[in-house]
Amino acid sequence: MAADVVERVPEHSELKRSITGRQLYFYVVGDVLGSGIYVLVGLVAAAVGGAFWMAFLAGVAIAAITGLAYAELVTKYPQAAGASLYINKAFRSPLLTFFITICMLSSQIAAIGSLASGFVRYFSSLIGLSEDSIWGATIIALVFLAVITAINLIGISESVVVNVVMTFIEVSGLIIVMVIGVIALVEGVGQPGVLLEFSAEGSPVIAVLAGVSLAFFAMTGFENAANVAEETIDPQRAFPRALIGGMVTAGVVYVLVAISAALAVPMSALAGNTLLEVIRADLFFIPARIMLVVFALIAVIAISNTTLVTVVAQARVLYGMARQDVVPSVFAKLHPTRRSPYVALLFGAVIVAALLIVGALIRSSQAGLPEDDQLDIVDRLATITVVFLLFIYALVIVACLKLRGKDESDRTYRANTPLLFLGIVGNLAVLVYTLIDDPGALYWVAGLLAIGFVLYLAEKFFGHKKDRPAGVGVGDPEAVEPPPSTDKEL
Amino acid sequence: MHVIVATDGSRASLVGARQFKWIADSREITDVTVLAVVSPYSAVPFANELGDREPGDLTELSFSREAQRAVDLVAAEFDGWGPTIHREVRSGSPAQEIVRAAEDLDADLVSMAAGGRGLTRTILLGSTASRVQHSAPCPVLVCRPTPKSERVTS
Repeated sequence: MAADVVERVPEHSELKRSITGRQLYFYVVGDVLGSGIYVLVGLVAAAVGGAFWMAFLAGVAIAAITGLAYAELVTKYPQAAGASLYINKAFRSPLLTFFITICMLSSQIAAIGSLASGFVRYFSSLIGLSEDSIWGATIIALVFLAVITAINLIGISESVVVNVVMTFIEVSGLIIVMVIGVIALVEGVGQPGVLLEFSAEGSPVIAVLAGVSLAFFAMTGFENAANVAEETIDPQRAFPRALIGGMVTAGVVYVLVAISAALAVPMSALAGNTLLEVIRADLFFIPARIMLVVFALIAVIAISNTTLVTVVAQARVLYGMARQDVVPSVFAKLHPTRRSPYVALLFGAVIVAALLIVGALIRSSQAGLPEDDQLDIVDRLATITVVFLLFIYALVIVACLKLRGKDESDRTYRANTPLLFLGIVGNLAVLVYTLIDDPGALYWVAGLLAIGFVLYLAEKFFGHKKDRPAGVGVGDPEAVEPPPSTDKEL
Repeated sequence: MHVIVATDGSRASLVGARQFKWIADSREITDVTVLAVVSPYSAVPFANELGDREPGDLTELSFSREAQRAVDLVAAEFDGWGPTIHREVRSGSPAQEIVRAAEDLDADLVSMAAGGRGLTRTILLGSTASRVQHSAPCPVLVCRPTPKSERVTS
């Protein structure tokens, strides 16, 4: 709590926070925009049909309500730990806190894998590689992963300026799509009627639900904003505005992009493909030949930016757990000159690489199956991310409601209560539907959780055994013993 | 004379502070500002490897508190030395914020440590130190652990 920190500061000392509300807004927009729309638009379109903008609208609405809960909690607890902190404050259960942290870590790892595979789809269009080459695509994804990890190992932390520039680049690509949408409408290429078409038979609600879980992936990333809460100037005022403002901006852009894409190209071309199909329709002032390269570059930059932020968040979660002796302390090791948590970064990269390779192996064993039955690694990893996040988000909203009346001041932002209840229902509905629709994702979810469990056991049996009295839970505030000597950490 | 002593929470920065104290003449120095910079966008915004680790649970990790503790520990080195000691924690890009602090405080010297030892130092030269000496508005003392300085300061 900020008040405590300020009180403890002795004379002659000051704490200068650096992030303004506007910078935080750009951070949220940049982080959210890069993640999904570039990667997933074709998959959502395939799941829903011409009306897939509705799936984005629903996904945005549920995510934005979750954002309200985050905004309220951040104004109460402006610290870096995010969801784990709120769950711990609300439920005081070390086991649940540990579980949520592992879920968060797993979701980040799956998201990095999905983004890396999505990166390949644009990058291969740049270098003219066929997308059918499974191992070619996997190798590009692995190289991309290695480069992103190396950037983080060297510790080039993104500066505020770079962040704003990246956000502008991301938005520029989506504005191009919107302009194409307007041209398509004016020239009568697309019929507005397509916007109400559903591909699947049966109820439109089910059709939209089918797309929501993937559209939801496009909104993820906003929770990373909590990472910089500690450094935000006047968080009580700045945070709710920046977070909700950023999410609404991203949401409006998404819905407009989805409408534009549906108007510009026939569903059969868009389904399963990227936004490059919209550019290929050649409706823009500049010839498609040039625009395809420009747009692919924009998409590559946008995806890289979001991947970088996600890798940073993943390494930080692992570092934080190691610092508190929940997982082996080796993950808290810092590079002596670069000050980057290299063990946590490399470990994350290895797990993502393993996911990508497993995906490629499954895919190459499915060569005989019809295309619809083959594994789509982007889809699968995005689904896993969403499964973890929907669970975390629902619990964060519950935590928000449970913590009402505690640690409040008149400066605390207060989210609308009925909306929060709606948010819980929304998150859970999408979660249940996702699992029923794609039960295969559960194996991957279990696999990632198992890795967390192995780390926990490794700490329990090979960690600092003597420091902890037997029978006391790990992570229990009272149970943490005086730390081991610093020499060990060096 | 106003001196900024920067710390990144590493052992090297503590040794560097001792080295500075060993080199400098306290009668010439009126003020020492011990400065730490938290970089919010990096994976580990600040890590304090000095002193005992603060007990706490999984969720209470606060990077600005870590920075504050590192500053306190380095400032304690100058207890009773003479000059007035100030403490400051800033947030942003480390090199940029150290230079800004030097400008804001009208400092006459910045003292900082350059990374650890070993092979990686030659490959990944401590970029904060080199960036600060490139653009600081005052002289910069880059402390480097040497066998001799370690004997004298330990």
